[in-house]
Amino acid sequence: MNSDIVLVCPVTEPYVRRSEHDAAWFMGRVLSRLIAASGVGKADIDGLCLSSFTLAPDGPAPFLQYAGMSVRMLDWIPTGGACGIMAARRAIRAVAAGDAEIVACLAGDTANAGSFRDLLEGFSVFSRDAVYPYGAGGPNASFALITDHYMRKYGAVREDFGHLAVAQRRNAQGNPNALLRSPMTMEDYLGARPVASPIHLLDCVMPCAGGDGFLVMTRARADALGLASVRLLASIERHNAFSDDPMQERGGWLLDRDALWSKAGVGPQDMDAVQTYDDYPVISMLQFEGLGFCGQGEAASFLRGRDLTATGDLPHNTGGGQLSCGQAGAAGGYLGLVEAMRQLTGVATSQVARARHVLVSGFGMINYDRGLCTAAAVLAE
Amino acid sequence: MMRSQAMREMDHAAAGGMVALQSCAYCGMAQYPPRSLCHACLSADLAWSRALSIEGVVLAATVLHHSHEPDFRSALPLRVGMVHLDCGPQAVCFVQVAEPGTRVRVTATLDAQGRAVLTAQPFSMPKETMG
Repeated sequence: MNSDIVLVCPVTEPYVRRSEHDAAWFMGRVLSRLIAASGVGKADIDGLCLSSFTLAPDGPAPFLQYAGMSVRMLDWIPTGGACGIMAARRAIRAVAAGDAEIVACLAGDTANAGSFRDLLEGFSVFSRDAVYPYGAGGPNASFALITDHYMRKYGAVREDFGHLAVAQRRNAQGNPNALLRSPMTMEDYLGARPVASPIHLLDCVMPCAGGDGFLVMTRARADALGLASVRLLASIERHNAFSDDPMQERGGWLLDRDALWSKAGVGPQDMDAVQTYDDYPVISMLQFEGLGFCGQGEAASFLRGRDLTATGDLPHNTGGGQLSCGQAGAAGGYLGLVEAMRQLTGVATSQVARARHVLVSGFGMINYDRGLCTAAAVLAE
Repeated sequence: MMRSQAMREMDHAAAGGMVALQSCAYCGMAQYPPRSLCHACLSADLAWSRALSIEGVVLAATVLHHSHEPDFRSALPLRVGMVHLDCGPQAVCFVQVAEPGTRVRVTATLDAQGRAVLTAQPFSMPKETMG
């Protein structure tokens, strides 16, 4: 079903550490790049899926007037790390249903001196009431608790997380869009200063400004435009799963992964690359477990002997991931998806030799004590 | 300072040295953070109980070396943990112990901004921190 609908034109508005531009500018720049990359006119885009954390007080409708657009399908997906996959799912269904012919899916955010603090303080009611007053550690503190629990319960050690981070940095070295490209050793990783134990500096993603996006249309339209396209074989999403677990140690992928692989017609062993949401490394481990690469709590030992670079036996976060690229707000939820599209169309900066199937996974929204949103998609050439 | 209406009940209690805990008057479910409906049965009939302290077990802990707020920076490093309250929910607390499994007594005080904050102390302090 829907195999005649495809994803095309992964674009990135380059990430920058700080910007005087507002979020709408980054989103508009992504839109402009989508138009340039595809050859369609702005008026041909009749559907829009948007995500941003720093667009406030504006939402999706004000953005239409800002960018001079009129659409017949408009979606706002404020789910952070899960938003890219969710956008692809919604866009494909919209095209299949005839609600739109060409849907632009994009996320963009700005970053300046006060924006990250403002975002954290006002992130959610529960966070504002019951997390922020405890030292204002932000996501570092929340993920530190999740990581502390995971390490104690399952025996993972810092080197296991470093194994992911070091490989990702190597993957980032050819990626001009990665903010952190200088070589990094395990010694560098282990020697980083503590931020919120057991989280250290090189476990943390760097907040930045930037944007990412892609278009969804019929294969016939993509072919007529001469665009390299990618198919979405299967996808899942699940929100607020396992809410009775005292500490988060698994995510909603677990509930739907059998349906994902069954519909995709392939399995974890068939993936030529895996793009997880790596904010923070422990969350990547939960994705390997939740999506069936290994059992619960086994990710550290599963990954220990594997080469996670683009030329390795399990290429992971092949563009560098957020740990090396930075986290441009909601665009972090698109990063794995646009990298997967680049791998499958042979234009990645650290290209996997024969990329035919790529898994993308997302995780988002630490509302109080855990991430609420999970999603995954299997993409094919 | 932004604060939810439900959380203000905890602030008022903390001003008197008490922990206020919200539960559902209809189904009895306790919940934290407090909110305007019962998360289990969606009843709006919520009740508050007050106590000098409540009890729980430390699930995980961290030592913060960085804060996004200047006011906290002079107090760093700060020890923060997740406590599984005996009545059901989990609460982020300042903790005086790092070891998961430690039984703790949780009390509420007002911080400099008038917010109720929870602090978890072990029932018996380890020897090295005594007197």
